[in-house]
Amino acid sequence: MSKSVAIIEDEPFIVEALTFLLERAGLTVRSFANGAGSIEFIQQVTPDLVILDIMLPNISGMEILENIRNNQGLKRLPVLMLTAKGQKRDRKAAIDAGVDLFMTKPFSNDELVASVLDLLDS
Amino acid sequence: MARTLLGTRIREARRAKRLTQKDLARIAGISASYLNLIEHNRRGIAGKTLLSLANALEIDQSLLSEGSDRALVDRVKKAALSASHLKPETERTEEFTARYPGFARLVARLQDQQEQQQENFAALADQMHNDPFFAESIHLMLSNITAIHSTADILASMPDIPRDQSQRFLQNLLSESARLSETASDVLDHFEPSSDAQVASPDNAPFDTLLEQHHFYLEPLEQGRESVAEMVEKLAVPAALQIQTKASLQSYVDMATTLPIQPFLETAQAHHFDALSIASDMGVALPLVMFRLAHMPQAPDMPRFGLLQCDGSGAVLYRKQLPVFALPRFGGACPLWPIYRSASQPTQPIAAFIDLPSGERLFTLSYSYPTEVAQIGMPAQSESIMLFTADYALIDGLKSLPQLSVGMQCAVCPRQKCSARRSAYLLDK
Repeated sequence: MSKSVAIIEDEPFIVEALTFLLERAGLTVRSFANGAGSIEFIQQVTPDLVILDIMLPNISGMEILENIRNNQGLKRLPVLMLTAKGQKRDRKAAIDAGVDLFMTKPFSNDELVASVLDLLDS
Repeated sequence: MARTLLGTRIREARRAKRLTQKDLARIAGISASYLNLIEHNRRGIAGKTLLSLANALEIDQSLLSEGSDRALVDRVKKAALSASHLKPETERTEEFTARYPGFARLVARLQDQQEQQQENFAALADQMHNDPFFAESIHLMLSNITAIHSTADILASMPDIPRDQSQRFLQNLLSESARLSETASDVLDHFEPSSDAQVASPDNAPFDTLLEQHHFYLEPLEQGRESVAEMVEKLAVPAALQIQTKASLQSYVDMATTLPIQPFLETAQAHHFDALSIASDMGVALPLVMFRLAHMPQAPDMPRFGLLQCDGSGAVLYRKQLPVFALPRFGGACPLWPIYRSASQPTQPIAAFIDLPSGERLFTLSYSYPTEVAQIGMPAQSESIMLFTADYALIDGLKSLPQLSVGMQCAVCPRQKCSARRSAYLLDK
């Protein structure tokens, strides 16, 4: 059975490109465009990895990350943060909050797919 | 000023007059050897001798006397200290200023210009860091660029993708490029608002954008067709701005509920849009009427009002511009505007015409009001608002009002002899 990735991102064309790339790499992809309710979504689809944006409608990606890390069942879930907020303080805040990998937009497709596969293997 | 400077100055002034020590000593009635000691700063002078030398040199005694150029020396010293890594001889600043007054003025002027530019940069940087619209736009542009880059990379590097999928990606590229162009144009407009732009305070971007789109009259809220929550949801307001946006929309609803538009318009027209008469007739506070007048549907027979609201420090809380009267986003407006005068006369409405350098005349009504209950020994905090319009012909009873010549901001104001000027007119040749 293929591994699965949940994408929490509100930009539909980025989601479409990511979905295409990850499915082509043999992964199952589910996406969610709204911050609110994302924890329930993750619990429902039980992914092997989450790709998370920071600036989302209703609730920020940082709060979602904190909720993931505070949730007993999701504590060890690998999270790749993919964001346009690439300043040092954003990166530090995300790493301090327990993100596994921090990537800034725009990203390289090859690098992103390779990073996702690496995180899933580890 | 140190004694060293005085002797040096006398020497420089003598050389400028092309006099020998002997000549100057003779005219001043002192010996050449004594003058030599003075010029080499080995003798201090004052009183009669100083006056004689000043007369002989045909210059004002004050120009030779101590302290006459203290401000210039200080400015030069400041310039030297700001570049201490170049190791300027700061201990010889006074001598330098006395010996080369022209160069000293040049150094001082360059220092002043540098300080002014640093202030401008700081103000601009502050605006960019604290402007949610700008931050949001840059985020949006990066998202657009990411989608375009990723999609284009797929199309370029994977020639084997199914045709319908590649067609969709091409369509996505087209849509996303158009959005990127729109966002970039919005950012440009934000920093260079056109004369028609009506941009409100940058601290509440979603609410301001909504107002601009609806020409400052939110009909869906007025008519009860949409609730505050529905409007916030429709706007997709980022989480960080939701509380402020909801509060602003709720204030709007409160205004529309207290002063429903139809009866208000009837009363306003009956009073020829005189805010004071309307407030008195309807029994409501003047600021509420002023806000209402700035938020009405537009019609040819009704004056179009702009509004500025400031706190006690003069910081802009809310603004609605008019094409003829642009309001600075970052503060630094003309201190002669009546809104700032009203702050010193709380609860007393001030009506006045203002004449702009462009030749435009506007009617203004300013009012300052406390925002908290006063405490013993403490002045109450207050806010001020100014309602203004160029359509004053539609308002009654404005014949004998004061007329104030004001500007916009010093940098773009050609009124050179203004007592309130605090910085130079940038277009001055």
